[in-house]
Amino acid sequence: MSSHREAPEISKDPVADSTDVYAFVSPDSPGTVTLIANYIPLQEPAGGPNFYEFGDDVLYEIHIDNSGDGRADISYRFRFRTELADPDTFLYNTGPITSLESPNWNRRQFYTLTRASRDHETVLGDGLACPPCNIGPLSTPHYERLAAAAIHAIPGGGRVFAGQRAEGFYVDLGAIFDLGNLRPFEELHNQFGMHIFSKPAPGVNATNGLNVHSIAIQVPVSELTRGGTGEAHDRRSVIGVWTTASRQRVRLWDADHGENITSGPYRQVSRLGNPLVNEVLIPLGKKDRWNSLPPADDKQFASYVAHPGLAGLLPVLYPGVFPHLAALAGSGKARADLEAILLTGIPDGVIPGFQNYTGSVRADMLRLNTAIEPAAKPNILGLLGGDLAGFPNGRRVTDDVVTVELRAIAGATYPLVDKSYRPDAAAGAVTDGLTPASVKAPYLDEFPYLGTPYSGFSTPS
Amino acid sequence: MDGTRGDSGNAGTSDPSRRVVLRGVAGIGAAAAAAGGLRSGFPLAAGAQPPAAAHPAYHEPHGDPVVVHVRDAGTGELDIFRGTGHTRLRDPDLAARLVRASR
Repeated sequence: MSSHREAPEISKDPVADSTDVYAFVSPDSPGTVTLIANYIPLQEPAGGPNFYEFGDDVLYEIHIDNSGDGRADISYRFRFRTELADPDTFLYNTGPITSLESPNWNRRQFYTLTRASRDHETVLGDGLACPPCNIGPLSTPHYERLAAAAIHAIPGGGRVFAGQRAEGFYVDLGAIFDLGNLRPFEELHNQFGMHIFSKPAPGVNATNGLNVHSIAIQVPVSELTRGGTGEAHDRRSVIGVWTTASRQRVRLWDADHGENITSGPYRQVSRLGNPLVNEVLIPLGKKDRWNSLPPADDKQFASYVAHPGLAGLLPVLYPGVFPHLAALAGSGKARADLEAILLTGIPDGVIPGFQNYTGSVRADMLRLNTAIEPAAKPNILGLLGGDLAGFPNGRRVTDDVVTVELRAIAGATYPLVDKSYRPDAAAGAVTDGLTPASVKAPYLDEFPYLGTPYSGFSTPS
Repeated sequence: MDGTRGDSGNAGTSDPSRRVVLRGVAGIGAAAAAAGGLRSGFPLAAGAQPPAAAHPAYHEPHGDPVVVHVRDAGTGELDIFRGTGHTRLRDPDLAARLVRASR
């Protein structure tokens, strides 16, 4: 998964578990950037009577580094508050919820949004309503209207949304975590000698029909960058983006009141910038430590990017398919291509008309060159597909980040730093076999772009 | 001290060298006393019975709950949490009394 349940400790704390981060120049709102961070992975839509919600005891943040040091220059902070209208009923709602003010809606959430810079914090909105979860046609008729009502304007020309959305990230989890099986190529897998697969099979989207909770904000580019000319070659056009969730250090179960009590300073428990970095590159024993640190401290993890374990595994799992990758991995050479893509950004001059370089500080951030306009015809393979507006130049909700990163690790991007290297033919073809069409809920053409969440009624488990 | 005993039992306080979490000392006064060394008036002194009002301290109206974590009973290192604040102090005598009170 992009970052769902990616580390041992955070996998036990789904409310604080970030799953995906998106950052892109808004295709329908020129001059703005959309930032989305998803939490609470793999929500089964029929999960009542206590439907999914944000944690009142979790501090959710989306950070922007516009100075290249791997530390936040700007942070958008979301703090939630839950209100229970009638504690004497077991019901989430006692009738149809037809508006955000419906008296039938018993348990609702509100939030405060603040914008923090390094020297001050500004409240952008308070008492902002979340929509309910999508329950079914009796409880949440006209769900799209409810969700639309939960899009709030904020000072400075932006807007914000926090609530349930359809999972937009597509991945064949069932196969990939079955010892690196990629169904479209499974007949080529060594199968550990068991000879189970004899022909290719289509990918299966394991996240289909599941929901997440999104915090999404759309703001003018000028709110995020540190001046600059607004031209693509200007490094000041590039921002680094990541999300974090933090909890107070102490949490005690107060049995007398049947609730948790929290105290102490907030400490980071979840982090996500580029998809799949903590999930696939960082070793199991260091994943939760990685989650607790800022990108500025990622130098200590850089070797796992420069020498990814998966690059050594692919030639073993698929014998004879990746001979050039096997030689590259065996040479011990650092994967400078992956370091550039994931840790520093790609410098000017490597790809014509493109750069998203933030400097020499190695930090896992999703880097977006805000001066590159949205593509008229987006390619889900982003830069690999010749689309400068797609991943790893930020990330759009439809980008096929699994295939892009698989191919990059398989050596497809190594010629960016060594033109004498010839990638294996498979490096340009490897995929888990999914596309945005593998997602049942259609993406939206407008903010917040992720689709209407699946309802419990229409999406049985 | 039922509530305190139950929690400390879960934390495994039979061994003083192990980390101990004690909850719910009594609000603002206790926090101030702890910061100053707490030589008197601490509600969980050895052998003392806690006042009836001490137990539900989390909901007392005068402020946030105070949580004391005995990091190391041997050195007397204590973490005190309140609101979003954190204070660390070294007070072997206080740590020893907290450990005794937790049994």
